[in-house]
Amino acid sequence: MTSICFYFEVHQPMRLNRFSVFNIGEKNDSFSTYFNHKLNQQIFEKVAKKSYLPTNNLLLDLIHDFDGKFRISFSLTGTFVEYCERFVPTVLDSFKELFKTGAVDLIEETYFHSLSALFDNLDEFEEQVKMHRQMINRVFGYQPKVFRNTEAIYDNRIAKKIEELGYKGIITEGTEKILGWRSPNFMYKPVNTNLKVFLRHYKLSDDVGFRFSAHGWPGFPLTAHKYAHWLSCCEGDIINLFIDYETFGEHQWTETGIFDFIRHLPGEVLRYKNLDFVTVSEAVERYEPVGEIDVPWAISWADEDRDVSTWLGNDMQIACFNELKDIGQRIKERGDKDLLYVWRLLQTSDHFYYVSTKGFEDGNVHAYFSPYDAPYEGFINYMNILQDLKQKVH
Amino acid sequence: MKVAMIGWEYPPFKVGGLGTHCYGLTRSLADKNVSIDFYMPKTKHSLKSDKDNLVIKEVGETEIFPYDRLGNKELAGQFFEAVYRYNDLLVRKVNGKYDLVHCHDWLTMKAGVVLKEKLDAPLVLTVHSTEYDRSGWLYPNDWFISIEKEGMEKADKIIAVSHFTKRVIVEKYGINPDKITVVHNAVYPIGESEKKKIVLFLGRLTIQKGPEFFLKAAKKVLKHEDTRFVVAGVGDMLPDLISQAINLGISNRVIFTGKLTEEEVKHIYKISSIYVMPSVSEPFGITALEAISAGTPTIVSKTAGVSEVFRNCLKVDFWDTDEMANKIIALLRYDALRKTMSEQSKQEIELFTWDRVAEKTVDVYRGIA
Repeated sequence: MTSICFYFEVHQPMRLNRFSVFNIGEKNDSFSTYFNHKLNQQIFEKVAKKSYLPTNNLLLDLIHDFDGKFRISFSLTGTFVEYCERFVPTVLDSFKELFKTGAVDLIEETYFHSLSALFDNLDEFEEQVKMHRQMINRVFGYQPKVFRNTEAIYDNRIAKKIEELGYKGIITEGTEKILGWRSPNFMYKPVNTNLKVFLRHYKLSDDVGFRFSAHGWPGFPLTAHKYAHWLSCCEGDIINLFIDYETFGEHQWTETGIFDFIRHLPGEVLRYKNLDFVTVSEAVERYEPVGEIDVPWAISWADEDRDVSTWLGNDMQIACFNELKDIGQRIKERGDKDLLYVWRLLQTSDHFYYVSTKGFEDGNVHAYFSPYDAPYEGFINYMNILQDLKQKVH
Repeated sequence: MKVAMIGWEYPPFKVGGLGTHCYGLTRSLADKNVSIDFYMPKTKHSLKSDKDNLVIKEVGETEIFPYDRLGNKELAGQFFEAVYRYNDLLVRKVNGKYDLVHCHDWLTMKAGVVLKEKLDAPLVLTVHSTEYDRSGWLYPNDWFISIEKEGMEKADKIIAVSHFTKRVIVEKYGINPDKITVVHNAVYPIGESEKKKIVLFLGRLTIQKGPEFFLKAAKKVLKHEDTRFVVAGVGDMLPDLISQAINLGISNRVIFTGKLTEEEVKHIYKISSIYVMPSVSEPFGITALEAISAGTPTIVSKTAGVSEVFRNCLKVDFWDTDEMANKIIALLRYDALRKTMSEQSKQEIELFTWDRVAEKTVDVYRGIA
């Protein structure tokens, strides 16, 4: 039996306002001036309508239709849940309803979808994991068993910390960099700790996430029938299909047929006697590690490089990151709660993603997701905000 | 293939991108075994080519400065006459067997149109700027427009230096877009040296180039940062700009260089920390590539042709002097920004070679000759 483990990442960043050097030191309230609340609300409402609500409804129907045999997992970031509560509470209600079916599992992550795991020590990271834990407990009355870090950023140090925090499993990218010749379709164990590592099958995941509507791709058009066949041909215990949730209806529009694809997928998969669906918690119980992985340098699921160069790949990103770290120390010394919250919102990986100068191919993906015309614009805006925050804590 | 190319300036005698373009283009064409007779007005210098299949032929005695906006009627009259004289001379002096005639901008168009008939050869026209650009879209002169329109209509193929210019040719002159090819400009890299705290404007001081916006932004920057601003170049706006700097109270931080030699231009690009090209209307903007090739982070007008193709520069609306000042200050303050921009742009600038321009130009030639 090979299990399909579907997991969706659900996240929206707090996008920034245009903030010029002339705004630095104006002494206005940080939360209201740094973030573009109007734009954020518009985007959230748009994506809720195009993606979150219709996809949730569809998945709920499918879970009922297949009597709970269709099983999935979600990771909801803290900023995402805040958006729901502030702008479209029905989105959160529908996630609660999905969770109630018993066929849906939840995954832990950092509350702010942050890069805090890359700080020099992991105290801030730990605090953000605990914030997420509290939030999931408050909203869903549940304690997740599996952790997934921002953009699947992973190394031995992070794995160790996650084990200490009591989790049974952790998710990262099934890249050849760490696997070599080995298959991602099994559980592995970190070399330094006792934890189960889920490895994303990036090819099959990206077939849906990136290539679904690409006309030049040999797999086009991708039907549920064809995809289920590919899955049935895979060997191993578990196929980890980890995808951005906004793929459904946002990155891939309704017109591409993405919803029809999902609608037919459970039926097509369950026709095969050797396939079933599992949640991440079930997979942790069911499957044992077959080998060890050793990851001294951080990997991730992003871009071709599958490392952290997407966020810390150029001097501008590193300058911002160092500035961010320094400011954090001062804020913590002062104990200002409002500024601490703002500082944490600024740790969201997206702000660094917009400053990436990676080559044309990756650059195109970056451009699609960026509110800025160029990484330089992203840098100037973000750095100006950091300078203002820095003045406030001086 | 033999080409009669008709220009009006050639380095070291040049005032604009047209001269730079003709120099780079003809030399790279010559390397591709296209043989070229390059016709231009006679200058004080005697020009020679060091390439066998590139011959420079000076015609007559005329020196013309076609980018000045002429307020004085008498001067304007002399100027128009000089243009006619140059074109008449060309028609008489260009003889022999050519596979095609290639001319550049309005100044050579009348001759181009007649030579097409006389030599029975197809006509290629490169548009580096139109009257709309040169006037900054304020009171464009019908006399120029009618010459440009006739030339564009009679040309068998048109090369535009940007998509922006192609759109102007289609929309303002009613030309069929199918006969227009866009070929972006290139640069001979200048090379780097140590930087000083200088923010540079370099170009003709005319309404088209937007120097007054540079000074307005300078005023805003100087409230927060201590730096020097250099305005390099000459043009009809120079007296007004000097008054503007005095009125803004920044004349002690702004240096007007007047006319610079080619060597001085290279030097100022090299030592400047930031180059700003705030053009109101800029078909391409080779100066931006020159500055970048000297390792100088560059801010260009969003509508400039170079904005269409060059990624690693900052882009602003020319009228948005707040944003221009924001970007200048950011570049002055944030080392990482300057460093990343100059590293990234160094790689990108390598794509902008005259060889590529010549290759695309030859493709255009092959379509008709």
